[in-house]
Amino acid sequence: MDKLASLLHTSPAIAWMVAKLIIVFGGVFSLAALWTWVERRGSAMIQDRIGPNRAALFGKIKILGLVQPLADGIKFFFKEDLVPHDANKALFWLAPFLALVPALMGFAVIPFGRSFVSGGQEYHLALLDPGNGMGLLYPLAIGGMAVYGVLVAAWSSNNKWSILGGMRASAAMVSYEIGMSLAVVTIFMTTGGYDPSEVISAQGHLPWAWNIVRQPLGFIVFFTCMFAETNRLPFDFAEGESEIVAGFNTEYGSMKFSLLALSEYCHLMTASALMATLYFGGWQVPFVKDPTVMLSVASFLVKMLFFAWVFVWIRWTLPRFRYDQLMRLGWKAMLPLSMVNLIFHAWRMSQGH
Amino acid sequence: MFITFALITLLGALGMLLQKNVVVAGLCMVAAFFGVAGLFVLLANPVAAALQIIVYTGAILVLVLFVIMMLNSHQEEEAQAARPVQRWLSVALVAGLAFGAMKLVLGSAGVKALAVKGAEMPQAMTLQKVGTTLFADHLLGFEVAGLVLLAAMIGAVALTKRNL
Repeated sequence: MDKLASLLHTSPAIAWMVAKLIIVFGGVFSLAALWTWVERRGSAMIQDRIGPNRAALFGKIKILGLVQPLADGIKFFFKEDLVPHDANKALFWLAPFLALVPALMGFAVIPFGRSFVSGGQEYHLALLDPGNGMGLLYPLAIGGMAVYGVLVAAWSSNNKWSILGGMRASAAMVSYEIGMSLAVVTIFMTTGGYDPSEVISAQGHLPWAWNIVRQPLGFIVFFTCMFAETNRLPFDFAEGESEIVAGFNTEYGSMKFSLLALSEYCHLMTASALMATLYFGGWQVPFVKDPTVMLSVASFLVKMLFFAWVFVWIRWTLPRFRYDQLMRLGWKAMLPLSMVNLIFHAWRMSQGH
Repeated sequence: MFITFALITLLGALGMLLQKNVVVAGLCMVAAFFGVAGLFVLLANPVAAALQIIVYTGAILVLVLFVIMMLNSHQEEEAQAARPVQRWLSVALVAGLAFGAMKLVLGSAGVKALAVKGAEMPQAMTLQKVGTTLFADHLLGFEVAGLVLLAAMIGAVALTKRNL
């Protein structure tokens, strides 16, 4: 890192920051693109089909259709960019960015590997260094912003299906945010801190000391709420093509649609990373006390991609809920469960455990 | 940095006032809240910034926009008659309030803390400090606020659901 920095005439800190920016945003974005392929192949696997397998580099190299996202991207770029006549033009343009930016930003605070010291300087593998004061409030705040992308896309299209989708999505996201936040607050309480690095180090390297074992109820609530927050099936009321055409993105085409779709996958990645960090020890490697940096990164990636796969898996296994069932589940099951979880752990802490 | 965030806040607020389209006005307000959150970060209070975004932009304004969309009112309603007296009275009142608030802020002890440099600088706010302050120093106010919110919630339910 020092050599690279001197080569570029900057300080190691700045070079590291730029490297992290590229790793995090590029990594999340390309993983999201890759996951469109995983989703299509995964759904094909689950439904006993073959799925996309024809796209090939130079007409030869197929690799299980892995170049499909590339082909999709090129196709989206060259499609005609239609804007409905009565749409609010400015907001119609703005909406995909309002959706994508929070989706990418949410990852910034999550440590994707252990910190290391090199040349007398400590390097942290998270875009926002530990002790930034925002901690895990940051992904909650950014996650709350995500609803604006859907709302603005829905409203600016000036289409009743879109508005219905946007309204459903915003109601669902706001309702599930409460249960989710209470589950996270319980983790803050038992950890005694709210920085992701503190949450990870408090969990240690033994799998039975991770928060999933200590707070299984909290995990169930958080896991369920993440589906509503990312608008994934069985809670994808923003789209619901059997009811409201394609929901909030009915009027979108070409690259703008692609950005909206990619932002959903970026959300999925951030949600998986949050689950790994909060409940599965983040970058901790099971039974290894002081893992090397690469091993910790690999451990984090395995956990995160596992949850990203679970999102795909559940999408193609469960049918969509009805809208009132979703709201009832949110307010009458998730919120009370989350409160029970909070009060139980508060009681345990007051007993000195 | 300060100028950027201050400009975002002011332009957002101005846009909210001048914009005839209600949804765009709401989005301008989001921008204003973002600017305020940025100002909180500059004041070494990231917790307040995060809470500002979670509570105001993540919950309250989403609900406001939700209601606007549900009522499907795209344009602000025109006033039936011009009311010059009320208008100037309210402008004068707001100006007086703003002047008083500025005077209070500039006269408070907190302003002197801004001039402190180096090791004397106060530590950044953390969630732990917010919690201890709320439950140790301002317990009464905190409980009263909780009670008021509970009453408001019960009132809202009672108003909307006639037959419980």
